[in-house]
Amino acid sequence: MANALSGRPKPLSPNIQIYRPQLTSVLSIANRISGVALSAYAVALVIWLLAVAAGPDSYAVAHAFIRSWLGQVLMFGCTFCFFLHFCGGVRHLAWDAGYGFSLRAIYTSGWAVVAVSVALTVLTWAIKFALAGYDR
Amino acid sequence: MSKAAMRSPLGRALGLGSARDGVEDWWRERVSAVALVPLTGWFAVSIVTHAGDGYSAVIAWLRSPVTTTLMTLLLITLFQHTALGLQVVIEDYVHSRIKIPVLVGVRLGCFSFGIAGLVAILRIAFGA
Amino acid sequence: MIVRSSDEVPRTTVLKRFPVPRNLGVAAGSRIGRGRTWPAPRGATRMKRFDVYRYDPDSGENPRIDSYQVDLDDCGPMVLDALIWIKNRIDSTLAFRRSCREGVCGSCAMNIDGTNWLACTRFISDLATPANVYPLANMRIIKDLVPDQKHLFAQHQLIEPWLRSKTPDPARERLQSPEERHRLDGLYECILCFCCTSGCPSHWWNGDRFLGPAVLLQAARWLVDSRDEATGERLDELEDPFRLYRCHTILNCTRTCPKGLNPGKAIADIKKMLVERRS
Repeated sequence: MANALSGRPKPLSPNIQIYRPQLTSVLSIANRISGVALSAYAVALVIWLLAVAAGPDSYAVAHAFIRSWLGQVLMFGCTFCFFLHFCGGVRHLAWDAGYGFSLRAIYTSGWAVVAVSVALTVLTWAIKFALAGYDR
Repeated sequence: MSKAAMRSPLGRALGLGSARDGVEDWWRERVSAVALVPLTGWFAVSIVTHAGDGYSAVIAWLRSPVTTTLMTLLLITLFQHTALGLQVVIEDYVHSRIKIPVLVGVRLGCFSFGIAGLVAILRIAFGA
Repeated sequence: MIVRSSDEVPRTTVLKRFPVPRNLGVAAGSRIGRGRTWPAPRGATRMKRFDVYRYDPDSGENPRIDSYQVDLDDCGPMVLDALIWIKNRIDSTLAFRRSCREGVCGSCAMNIDGTNWLACTRFISDLATPANVYPLANMRIIKDLVPDQKHLFAQHQLIEPWLRSKTPDPARERLQSPEERHRLDGLYECILCFCCTSGCPSHWWNGDRFLGPAVLLQAARWLVDSRDEATGERLDELEDPFRLYRCHTILNCTRTCPKGLNPGKAIADIKKMLVERRS
């Protein structure tokens, strides 16, 4: 849209550059980022299944990658993204059904999503180490 | 001034009119999400309990009818949910001419990977 | 940590702004340069620095940030009082909209310390130092803190915010029970300040086609009005991947509404109506 006199377009006021991050927007973008990351992990799941289907040799290659330090880092990331998106998704389903829209409920459920995701990630990895040991 | 700049504010807001469509995609994403809650829960628990298993143990687990069924349902639901979710993300951020090709590519990619996963699990279940 | 109502000023600051470059994706004409620092008032003991977004359409220059020292003992308690004080004592070229000074007209909506609110109902004592005063986010700026709202009001006009009836006009009033009238509570009180729409990231990225929380709240107001007889047509017009379904329940709108309304919930109710009418 132009200024009538000068023909120079009106400048756009800053948006994400200055808007305060709040629990609402931060958890929303975290849910999106974890979702997109999980799409990549879904492809990885299919590759793993194909490796299993192809026989013990290809399975061993996949298994070796997962056991490597990079593989373990990626698996940790996968676990955290999964629980964050899972808990965030449940929160979204509650909203879609019409529940939890008071600001108090939004903030309580938001912090609960963060706490439960972190707790479940730590719990899962603790159980994994307990069951399979450190040499995995 | 370009043609678009001469259009009235109401004309610009009206755009091409309402698509009168969108509930179906929204509903499908929520239904697949509801289905994914127990399916991914089961999958996460299984992965943790089967961590450290050797090849034959993994094959034996995947071959069981319950596992095969649940994995099949998981793959279908997961890629349906993924396709819908990625479509929304792309529509949000991509506004140039590549939007439609990218949308088509992502949808076809999700479909293909879903089929590949199904082939793998069925091969494991019914193969030699 | 748990916010109970939208008038609670954010206290804990983990991040003041998203960690993106200040001029990320900003067109050359919108880049903000450094402005002037205005002299402090003489004889003032309690002063507060205000960094205010300035843009002069006649100068041909880019927008800039000017720093003012406001004498708090000479000025009322609200941010609008500070802006009026600056305009009266220091710099009469500062432009901003204002009218009622009591939070009912919506004219003085702006971005204060990172969140959208009305300047007349935000206490100066709740602000950081220096206080950051910007126009409403993601709006075309006419001058200083005055945004161009033509597109937003065009989107409002699009939803036809008036009673649409097919039954012939009654002799007197169109009757409505107290319960039916109660369903309008939380929807009719909107003052169209556009704090919510201007704070919605989805509207930032798709504001040309996404209607935004303010307009959708008004759409819900007319959908829920028992006297309106065009509910189906209204829902047909709203059912669009962009007009309605760019809402991803981010809920910045509910957090920032200066009147304590809940656009997020209203939009969820519209989505529920759309599902309900086909099952």
